[in-house]
Amino acid sequence: MAKNDDFVLLTGRSNPALAKEIGKILGVEVLEPISVFSDGEIRVRIAKNLRRRMVFIIQPTSTPVNDHIMELLFMIDAAKRASAFEVTAVIPYYGYGRQDRKEMSRVPISSSVVASAITAAGADRIFTIDIHSEQQEGFTRKPWDNIFGSYSLLPAIKKKHLSKLVVAAPDKGGMLQATGYAKLLGSDNIALVYKKRDIQLNNVSNTLAMIGEVKDKNVLLVDDMIDTAGTIVNAANHIHKQGAKSVRVVATHGIFSGQALEKISDSAISEVIITNSIAQRPEVIKNKKITIVSVGPLLAEAIKRIKSGESISKDLIL
Amino acid sequence: MKIFSGSSNKALAERIAKACDATLSPTEIFVFPDGERRIQVQERVVDEDCMVVQSTGTPVDTNYMELFFLVDALKRSGAKSVTAVVPYLGYQRQDHVFRDGEAVSLDVVVHALERSGASRVITFDLHSIKIPEVFSVPVVHLSALPLFADKIKNFGEGTLVSPDMGGLRRINKMSDMLDNMPWIATIKDRDLDTGNISIEKIEGDVSKLGNKAFIVDDMIASGKTIVESAKLLHKHGATEIYVFATHAVFSKEAPELLENSLVKKVFVADTVFVPEEKRFPKLEILTVAQMVAAAR
Repeated sequence: MAKNDDFVLLTGRSNPALAKEIGKILGVEVLEPISVFSDGEIRVRIAKNLRRRMVFIIQPTSTPVNDHIMELLFMIDAAKRASAFEVTAVIPYYGYGRQDRKEMSRVPISSSVVASAITAAGADRIFTIDIHSEQQEGFTRKPWDNIFGSYSLLPAIKKKHLSKLVVAAPDKGGMLQATGYAKLLGSDNIALVYKKRDIQLNNVSNTLAMIGEVKDKNVLLVDDMIDTAGTIVNAANHIHKQGAKSVRVVATHGIFSGQALEKISDSAISEVIITNSIAQRPEVIKNKKITIVSVGPLLAEAIKRIKSGESISKDLIL
Repeated sequence: MKIFSGSSNKALAERIAKACDATLSPTEIFVFPDGERRIQVQERVVDEDCMVVQSTGTPVDTNYMELFFLVDALKRSGAKSVTAVVPYLGYQRQDHVFRDGEAVSLDVVVHALERSGASRVITFDLHSIKIPEVFSVPVVHLSALPLFADKIKNFGEGTLVSPDMGGLRRINKMSDMLDNMPWIATIKDRDLDTGNISIEKIEGDVSKLGNKAFIVDDMIASGKTIVESAKLLHKHGATEIYVFATHAVFSKEAPELLENSLVKKVFVADTVFVPEEKRFPKLEILTVAQMVAAAR
């Protein structure tokens, strides 16, 4: 048997460049089995023998999220029907991850619906990077490995040799991730921006408040994703007003929807470091404030370990 | 029974509600800037039998996801049962592995729908009568053919035409409903790689073909099959060609192609919502709302 003949990489249309980068590192060809019928229905055909092979399907479920989820489901189905030995859904960015609970009455838990559909289609394992909440791993009884983008992002941050570093969270929910980054960067200084209800005025409004000292410091704001960039930009501007020397942002997933790029351009943020978990649009790539780091090497290493049965948590999850 | 609607065919949902002497229960479907949707059911449903109307035509993936979320929301909110009314069931043509390495997309969406909590499905004119077997919940398989038969009766004598050999069961049923009206079939060849269609032969007794021909099909997608079939019928002497097809899954080019074709009129059901820009003078839409109301 030829080398690497025991596993197969598939990609949908959401991030073929990332899949090919992983394929290059692992020395295998990446199959692209998706085409479309004239009425918009997706069609999958895997033109390779998958019998008894391990199959890894690389498909972040980014915008257009519904199409990308369906592509993933159909690829899983096609792989199982072609007698694949084991199918791993590698979902670097997991869409609908923020609808992970009933935040109001009579709403679905959309993330759970997606996880059920993925396992119903036949996936044997789900593999994600920085899922919005790790409790979601409980939506299915199949193994769900979640790793962190920090593995790929840390070297890019360390390269900057930031002195007087403060790691900050843009909201209360981001504290865990901020403390994690602070530990990995050897910084004892942590700050938190949070929303405070201002009831001094007649009308109640939210103003920002802060815990931690940022004056004359280089601040690194940490979040799992940047979507419309409202929260992160407000937090950055607030930190800047407190006299910070510089404000940088690091996040795993760059969604940049709505007016995100304009907001970032007009903000006090000097640099945004994100990964390619989501394929980035040309205007993001061209944006001078944004640096994109690849999670390709991380995913390639993880896939290598999954297929050879080695531990992932040992030193891949920082 | 409470009736809810997704965003794909609210017009039909409203007609169904009216036929049930009910009003549509409200839902909110919010679209975030990144395209994710958030559904909210806005009425108490504890211990209620519920119905969700959602056709899964274009954009098929978004319509399916919305349906899964709606069913999930209703079940989690305590609904006793959820009947999914999917008048047009998207991905139904991918009901088996045509060539090695393909997905059975229909099976995937059916399982996802069942996992979400649908307890029953009502649908119309499936491409194959075996499709209900894919489900493990009860399927009520209805047909718009009786609506079409009533129309054809008004046109008087003529010949029924199946545009391909796959529609013989349908054309026989139609013939039965019309006092054994004679029928023929045109033979379609489809190139699996290019998707190109050619129709050059007729199956059955061409001498039965008079002036009037009634083409009957389950759906119109690109419109090419209908147009090619009409050309051949015209060559054999048909001068008045009418088309009856349940699902108007029109591709972008279909309306223009049909309007400029040899057919005189195109009748479809309202199983798929036809937006203003896809309507054309030769098109007439019939409603299936009464049938759904009767099956609830």
